[in-house]
Amino acid sequence: MAVCVAVIAKENYPLYIRSTLTENELKFHYMVHTSLDVVDEKISAMGKALVDQRELYLGLLYPTEDYKVYGYVTNSKVKFVMVVDSSNTALRDNEIRSMFRKLHNSYTDVMCNPFYNPGDRIQSRAFDNMVTSMMIQVC
Amino acid sequence: MSVPDYMQCAEDHQTLLVVVQPVGIVSEENFFRIYKRICSVSQISVRDSQRVLYIRYRHHYPPENNEWGDFQTHRKVVGLITITDCFSAKDWPQTFEKFHVQKEIYGSTLYDSRLFVFGLQGEIAEQARTDVAFYPNYEDCQTVEKRIEDFIESLFIVLESKRLDRATDKSGDKIPLLCVPFEKKDFVGLDTDSRHYKKRCQGRMRKHVGDLCLQAGMLQDSLVHYHMSVELLRSVNDFLWLGAALEGLCSASVIYHYPGGTGGKSGARRFQGSTLPAEAANRHRPGALTTNGINPDTSTEIGRAKNCLSPEDIIDKYKEAISYYSKYKNAGVIELEACIKAVRVLAIQKRSMEASEFLQNAVYINLRQLSEEEKIQRYSILSELYELIGFHRKSAFFKRVAAMQCVAPSIAEPGWRACYKLLLETLPGYSLSLDPKDFSRGTHRGWAAVQMRLLHELVYASRRMGNPALSVRHLSFLLQTMLDFLSDQEKKDVTQSLENYTSKCPGTMEPIALPGGLTLPPVPFTKLPIVRHVKLLNLPASLRPHKVKSLLGQNMSTKSPFIYSPIIAHNRGEERSKKIDFQWVQGDVCEVQLMVYNPMPFELRVENMGLLTSGVEFESLPAALSLPAESGLYPVTLVGVPQTTGTITVNGYHTTVFGVFSDCLLDNLPGIKTSGSTVEVIPALPRLQISTSLPRSAHSLQPSSGDEVSTNVSVQLYNGESQQLIIKLENIGMEPLEKLEVTSKVLTTKEKLYGDFLSWKLEETLAQFPLLPGKVATFTINIKVKLDFSCQENLLQDLSDDGISVSGFPLSSPFRQVVRPRVEGKPVNPPESSKAGDYSHMKTLEAVLNFKYSGGPGHTEGYYRNLSLGLHVEVEPSVFFTRVSTLPASSTRQCHLLLDVFNSTEHELTVSTRSSEVLILHAGECQRMAIQVDKFNFESFPESPGEKGQFANPKQLEEERREARGLEIHSKLGIRWRIISFSWGHLGLGAPSPRVPTSKRDP
Repeated sequence: MAVCVAVIAKENYPLYIRSTLTENELKFHYMVHTSLDVVDEKISAMGKALVDQRELYLGLLYPTEDYKVYGYVTNSKVKFVMVVDSSNTALRDNEIRSMFRKLHNSYTDVMCNPFYNPGDRIQSRAFDNMVTSMMIQVC
Repeated sequence: MSVPDYMQCAEDHQTLLVVVQPVGIVSEENFFRIYKRICSVSQISVRDSQRVLYIRYRHHYPPENNEWGDFQTHRKVVGLITITDCFSAKDWPQTFEKFHVQKEIYGSTLYDSRLFVFGLQGEIAEQARTDVAFYPNYEDCQTVEKRIEDFIESLFIVLESKRLDRATDKSGDKIPLLCVPFEKKDFVGLDTDSRHYKKRCQGRMRKHVGDLCLQAGMLQDSLVHYHMSVELLRSVNDFLWLGAALEGLCSASVIYHYPGGTGGKSGARRFQGSTLPAEAANRHRPGALTTNGINPDTSTEIGRAKNCLSPEDIIDKYKEAISYYSKYKNAGVIELEACIKAVRVLAIQKRSMEASEFLQNAVYINLRQLSEEEKIQRYSILSELYELIGFHRKSAFFKRVAAMQCVAPSIAEPGWRACYKLLLETLPGYSLSLDPKDFSRGTHRGWAAVQMRLLHELVYASRRMGNPALSVRHLSFLLQTMLDFLSDQEKKDVTQSLENYTSKCPGTMEPIALPGGLTLPPVPFTKLPIVRHVKLLNLPASLRPHKVKSLLGQNMSTKSPFIYSPIIAHNRGEERSKKIDFQWVQGDVCEVQLMVYNPMPFELRVENMGLLTSGVEFESLPAALSLPAESGLYPVTLVGVPQTTGTITVNGYHTTVFGVFSDCLLDNLPGIKTSGSTVEVIPALPRLQISTSLPRSAHSLQPSSGDEVSTNVSVQLYNGESQQLIIKLENIGMEPLEKLEVTSKVLTTKEKLYGDFLSWKLEETLAQFPLLPGKVATFTINIKVKLDFSCQENLLQDLSDDGISVSGFPLSSPFRQVVRPRVEGKPVNPPESSKAGDYSHMKTLEAVLNFKYSGGPGHTEGYYRNLSLGLHVEVEPSVFFTRVSTLPASSTRQCHLLLDVFNSTEHELTVSTRSSEVLILHAGECQRMAIQVDKFNFESFPESPGEKGQFANPKQLEEERREARGLEIHSKLGIRWRIISFSWGHLGLGAPSPRVPTSKRDP
């Protein structure tokens, strides 16, 4: 399923990033980092639209040879980026959407933790487990 | 066609390609000087028409690209200018021959050519030729521009004739089939008479004419031709050329919509502002007459709006064209260039998302195996284009790839410099600045993994460049800013390599200027170690300077006449936060305490750690320290000596860690706690050291006033004993000791003290003043203890055990009548004589001697120092009068005073009175002694109850009276005791042994 999941703060630095392939982690860092260009562009394009009509799901940010990068942005401008294997054709837009929604819910839980300092790296075990479940789940 | 021109943009379609090349040996400098001048003639208004010709100059153009000239005419080399050196007439034929050879290369497409000869003079040079221009040298060639203009005009004539020629071809004759190089073999044996084939020929020719029109400055005509061509080619599914026709349409529309150009080459197009595009549409009108040949029904005026694509359509058509190109593997370069052109247009339209799609497509276009240089070029241009559309991160990514390509292992001579330069350019994309100040606030927030990788690459590249100072700087930066993200192993590795580098080139605090104008600021290691707390320490109590209080008092020195004002109080608070309210003294060692923390998983060696100060000349005495791995807070004291006076500010500290010098300023340290860093330094003062004849004491006095006592001495005395204390005063400072004042303060207040405890004569000592540095003076103090032991329960217990009944009240009480029956004056031998030495019987007296001294410049400023000597005296009971009674004597004027004297010491002692009677008492013995005294009254006591009665407490009054009477009795009797063994033993020490019992009396 997802091979890399990242949560990026409003100021565009990573709050959380994890990938399945640990030996090539840096590659995903690069991939997610460069995808932010597209996210920024999409957000600025959306800025013109009415705020309440805004769709949080940004859709496919860009495809690479092996992966597809999807984006999602919360109302507080926190971004979720998910990299999925492009060979996995079973993943439709709707599945991606629901995964992002799950991620968003879990992120909300993290933010509700009074001991979490907004802006710090996310170290919640619950969040970690949720991401793990999204990574291994076979579609 | 295999070499893409990454710089292409849509408006290049309207240019004529001219190649400028040197022939023979021409120095690069000279060539480019002329080349630049030639390039300045990039557009020409053609005579008698308003059309403008645009020229694109190249000094290098692969002939194979030229072969695609029919496909898109702007790829065709139509002009050749050669530049050559020729100094003698006999070289001339050879030179001219070379020019012809050069012409051959592009021969098939050339409209015209020119040869510029430099250096030749004389006969040959004087002949007037159109294709050759002679100049004596590279300076003296003012007519170059004019020549080029003429040349371009001649190109125009050929172009115009070709355009007209092609346009009229249509009139029924067979139209030749234009094709691209790789198509040639496909059309062999094709039926040339078929409708399909004819249409194909027509369509391609239309497209070609469209190109020519565009080049000839007839934009609207070209649009019409392109449109017709598109229709023709679409019907025959000639995709490659259909793509070209569509692209032509796009180019012409882009030129119409964006007269400013899309290539970002400012000034390339010098249109006259507002006259466009309306004028651009009109100005070809005179030329419109010439279009009738091919298309008499072309009503350009009517069709204009329709012909020209809207900005949105341009992109759609580009997309379409690219999709057609992509069907042909051999047209990869065309496709790639079309993508780039589209991106530039989109960048102008600010449609970044679509632009990125085009770019993404361009990334995947697979040309043949590229050489390493071509790869670098390709990645660089991708990076530039991404930058153009505002995708800085993507741009940085490709730039980094390009940088890595510069040093790919397959390259024989890796370009580390280029690599380094490119890497530096990627920094903004990774939001990484090389200024450590940007990282000092709070925790680092960024793409640490990516940034660390980049820094590692910078370090490596700079090392391979042979610039160790740069590597050290980058590595220091990495260590300083990314410390939190480094694993333990990485920390070890990084420091290891840093130490290797610094062994050759120590890290400094100098900014390093890079050739590109970038400056690398110094990187102080504020995290190695981490400093948590900085505290300026006061001098030790004995060295603290005190200000002589002026008459006004110090508090009055503030300008305000008010004791308190909320406004001023606020200001004061601010001042106080900075300035500390103690002083340092010039020439005396001062201390600053830092609490430091080593974040490394190994022992950290910090060398040359010292203070950075300002305001006062300060001699810092650096320290070296070694902090254990991941130590907790660890106190470090940095010392230094202020050499002048004034206000000193401790700004920070400097260290050398891993061979890198760092100046860490406190202002830049995050999370540091400091209690102020400014202190006043007062002029030098002398330093006094005292040593005494008495042993030092383990007791340390805690004087109530808060002053600290630097030295403590103790002495054990019997009650009534007096002793001399000799104090040696040594000036161990650098200034003469000019003034000394001694005061004493008795701390024990419980005990009733009779007589002077401490007494001295200062005059003798002062006679030796001023005391120069290193000199010693002595000072003598008499200690005398007279205490009241009368109510010591323990002692009395001993006595009562022996059958002596005592009241349990102070025996010395002058008003207590002893009424109990008394035992005979037999010697009392306490069974437990050892008890006499029991310390529980002892009383202690504590006193502080204060030596206020001053001298040198500090004295003139009104400062002094205070040295305190603690004196701890343990007093043991000596002689008791257990019973007092009187007997009448033979004379009525006299009486016998009977005293039961008890020796509570362990020593044999003698008791004597004024009447020279000597009584020997053994340890613990009690004997009665009788003294004959004259009767007297206490008349002499100045009783003045009338004066004092109302005010004084009667109890106090009573006390005073009692004391005075005691003194009077004492002076009359003069009872003294003396320990026999001590008096001898102590004589050598000069210890005085006349010991006087404190009390006795009687009514």
